[in-house]
Amino acid sequence: MKRLTIKLWFLVHKWSGLVSTAFLLMLCVTGLPLIFHDEIDSLVGEDYEATLAGAPSAISGTALDSMLDVALAERPGEVPLFMAFSQDSPLLTVTTGPAPNAAGADMTLLFLDRATGEVIGPAPSGGVMEFILQLHTDLLLGLPGMLFLGVMGALFVIAMVSGVVLYAPFMRRLPFGTLRTRHSRRVSTLDQHNLLGIVALGWMLVVGVTGVINAFADPLVDDWRNGELAEMTAQYAGDPAIDAEEYGSLDAAMASAQAGLPGRSPQFIGFPGGDWSTGQHYAIFFQGDRPLTQHLLTPALVDARSGELTDARSMPVLNQALMISKPLHFGDYGGLPLKLIWAALTLATIWVLWSGLVLWFRRSPARIERRIDEIASGAARGMPT
Amino acid sequence: MSIDRSRTDRPATRRQRQSLSHVFAIPAFLLAVSITGLVLGLTGDGLRDAFAWGLLSLPIILAAYAFVRRG
Repeated sequence: MKRLTIKLWFLVHKWSGLVSTAFLLMLCVTGLPLIFHDEIDSLVGEDYEATLAGAPSAISGTALDSMLDVALAERPGEVPLFMAFSQDSPLLTVTTGPAPNAAGADMTLLFLDRATGEVIGPAPSGGVMEFILQLHTDLLLGLPGMLFLGVMGALFVIAMVSGVVLYAPFMRRLPFGTLRTRHSRRVSTLDQHNLLGIVALGWMLVVGVTGVINAFADPLVDDWRNGELAEMTAQYAGDPAIDAEEYGSLDAAMASAQAGLPGRSPQFIGFPGGDWSTGQHYAIFFQGDRPLTQHLLTPALVDARSGELTDARSMPVLNQALMISKPLHFGDYGGLPLKLIWAALTLATIWVLWSGLVLWFRRSPARIERRIDEIASGAARGMPT
Repeated sequence: MSIDRSRTDRPATRRQRQSLSHVFAIPAFLLAVSITGLVLGLTGDGLRDAFAWGLLSLPIILAAYAFVRRG
């Protein structure tokens, strides 16, 4: 590799890393507890789902119509907006608002138990884990924060690619796994940076890329909702919206949708008049029943009065691929051992980031040429000790 | 040689340059193993999860081994 080529890659690696390191460290540190959010939630008693016994609300339980009735009895004068299901417990949530097109701030989220058919109460707000999750997702800044972190993740990917390119000339004279301890502290730190970086590369790439995908997925889902879903609902846009009193049976609507879409599990229902539906339909969003397909949404429009299935469409292939990749970021799909592996690799990543920062911090001016020499000639030669 | 190494672990003679495929043999193997493990765990439970744990442990074990060995 030419000296100039190495220098360019070195500069790419240095700057993509430096710019993103602080944010990546934050993501690693907040990500660590998030890996174990199930365990932590149940430890501090915030895991509602674990305390409820019975079949998952997505599968069976009290009739949906009576669940809706008890929910609406809690919020007199309001209309239902969403009903959401759990794949793990009888927890069922109902969102109500003053009008079908109510703004998010005016909505109320109720927790219900579909096994007993009773209201648990208003959804608990916040909690430490919720705060950590928000920080991890969008720096508490909403969509701009999310997109910003997405860009930081993209820089992380660039830093990994350039790191691999530099690994080649650097390691030409060193066997894999070399950790030199008798040279300077800088050499020792550099070897650790390189070893952990190359060893955790696969995991870091997958978590990095899927993190970027997740950051940009919300706009993509919005895009899909505004495109395909809008197209699906557009033909009914001219029809007058029906009143809440005219809504027919939810159970009948669910039954006809499930008859048309076997092998899927309901995730949530959008009630007529909201952003996710039409003025005349229940929009029932189904997900796959396997880890691989659980993020794939299939919306079914069911006539709210007659309970007949009107239309159902799958997501476009690109969206499907993106949604399937989402769980690869979380590491919660393979039991506790996978979570422990996730944590170990997160710690390795923290060390790669930190050692990278230390290497930059201990630099002295005009040393870049010597760094390039070190990489270009193979690490074992020409080193000041 | 052993006397020489006790003073410094810098190689007494210049190590042979390795080819690109040699440098990247283990890293490429670990990359394939990691990604296979990650995807395998996603496609099902039980045995697939167990394989995912095994495959994803390999990079961690190799790194740990290098740290232990450096003395």
